[in-house]
Amino acid sequence: MNLCNRNFDRKDAGTGILKPLFKELEFHQVRKHSQHTAGDAFMVHKDSKNNRLLTVLSDGLGSGVKANILANMTARMAIKFAEADTDFVHYAKIIMNSLPVCQVRKIAYATFTVVDCRPDGSVQIVEQGNPPFILLRDGESVEIPWKEYGGSLGDYRKLRVYRFNAQPEDRIIFFSDGVTEAGMGAAATPLGWRNKGCADFIRNVVSNDPMVSARVLAQHVVRGALQNEPTRQACDDITCGVLYFRTPRCTLLASGPPFSKQRDPDYAHIIHSFEGTKIISGGTSADIVARELGVGIKTDLFSFRGSGLPPISHMEGIDLVTEGILTLTETLNLLEGKPSPAQKNAATLMNELLLNSDVIHILVGTQINQAHQDPSLPMELEIRRSLMRRIATTLEERYLKEVKLEFI
Amino acid sequence: MKKVNVTICTGTTCYLMGAANLLTLDEALDPCTREQVEFSGSHCLGLCTSEEHGKAPFVKVDGHVIADATLMKVQDKIREILDRGE
Repeated sequence: MNLCNRNFDRKDAGTGILKPLFKELEFHQVRKHSQHTAGDAFMVHKDSKNNRLLTVLSDGLGSGVKANILANMTARMAIKFAEADTDFVHYAKIIMNSLPVCQVRKIAYATFTVVDCRPDGSVQIVEQGNPPFILLRDGESVEIPWKEYGGSLGDYRKLRVYRFNAQPEDRIIFFSDGVTEAGMGAAATPLGWRNKGCADFIRNVVSNDPMVSARVLAQHVVRGALQNEPTRQACDDITCGVLYFRTPRCTLLASGPPFSKQRDPDYAHIIHSFEGTKIISGGTSADIVARELGVGIKTDLFSFRGSGLPPISHMEGIDLVTEGILTLTETLNLLEGKPSPAQKNAATLMNELLLNSDVIHILVGTQINQAHQDPSLPMELEIRRSLMRRIATTLEERYLKEVKLEFI
Repeated sequence: MKKVNVTICTGTTCYLMGAANLLTLDEALDPCTREQVEFSGSHCLGLCTSEEHGKAPFVKVDGHVIADATLMKVQDKIREILDRGE
C-alpha cells in the first residue's frame, strides 16, 4: 500500500519557491513461515480534514491467529485513541495498562509503535516494546531524545515518547522485532540482526540509491532480515514500515489523440513542458507528439516479444512510450492487484512508474479510434475515456495518489 | 548489398489481429536471409483506419504494403525482392 499526503511546505534554496512535501508511507510484511496469518498489524489513518497521518505497527504475542487478534485489537485501539485530537501519551498509557502481561512468559500481550505526523511537519512517535525506530537524515541515523513513562502495573513495560520536526528527505523506519531478531542463533548473527545491523543495512541501501522510495525500502528491509535466517524462512512475523518525507514526484500519463486536430500543438506542448516523468500510451498520440516536437520514434521490436503486449518505443524527452488500450488495460489489472508476470512488459514498466509517483496528471485525448470499432477484433476494447477514469480512480482510492484528470 | 526493409506495425489493431506472431519473424528467417533484412517497428502505420488497404495486421516490405500479413506472406515477399535483386 502507499500513502502520499500533502505535507508542510519548504523553500527551495535556489528559487525561494515554496514546494509542498509529501509523506510517502509504505509497509512490507512477511508472516512466520509456519502460519497462515500475520501476527503483526499495520494500520493507517489519514485525516483528510487536517492532513494528519497516523500509523500504528503492533506486534501481537506469539504468532498466527491469536497474535493477529491481539495486534489488530491494539492497533485499532491506538488509532481510535490517537484520532481524538488530545494528548496521545495519556491514551498510550491506558492501552499499555489495559494490555495484560502473559503469566507464563511474563511479557506483554502486544507491543506497538504509533507514528503521528502533523501537517506542520512535527512528528510524535510513541513506542511500547517494539524495537526503536530509525530516523535516517542525510544518509545517517539520527538519535532523537525521548521521554520514558512507566506503567501503573509496576511491571517492566515502559512507554517511550519522541518528538521532533521532520526535515525534507527524512526517512522514518519502524519495524517489529521479527526484523531485529532475524537470524538469532545463527553463527553469523548469534543475537540476531539487531538494530545496528538493520541500521547499517538501511544506510547502505539509501547510499546506493538516495531516491529509493518508501515502498522499495520497506521491501529491502524485510528481504534483508530474511537473508539473516539460515533457512531464508521467517521464524517470526517480519513487518517494516517506512515513512518518507519527499519532494513530490510528478508523472504525466498522456493517451489518445486530441478530439480536434487543431489542439495537436497544445497537446504536444503540455507534454513537452511538463516537469517530471512523462509517459505516452498510444501509437497515434506518440506520432502527434513526435511530429509536433520534431523528434524521432524508434520501436523496440523484439525486447518484450512473447510478453503478451505490444512493444515499447523510445522517443527523446519521453520516459516511456507504449501502445495504448491493451497496455493501459493490463496496467489497470496490475494496479487492481493482478500479480506481476515474471517477464517485464510495457504494462509492468508503466505500473512501476505510476507507483513511484505522488502526483499523477492524466491527459486523455478523446478522439475515437475508428479502427477499434471493427467488430471482427477478437477482444473487447475499452473506450479510452472510461479506462483512464478507472485508472485514475484506482490510483486515488487504492494508492491515495493525487490525480488530475484532464480531457483534450 | 542493400538490405530489405521490413516494418511491422505493432499498433493495437495490428497486434490483436496477428502482429504478435509476426514478432518471431527474425527467428523464422533462415540465417542467410536474416542478414539481408533490416527490421523496424511502427506504433501505427495508419493503414487500419481505411478499408482500401485491406485487413490488419500490416507489414511494409521495402515500401510494399502487405495486408492480413502472416509469417509466410512476409517471407515470400522478402525472398521475391531478394531474388529480383540477384
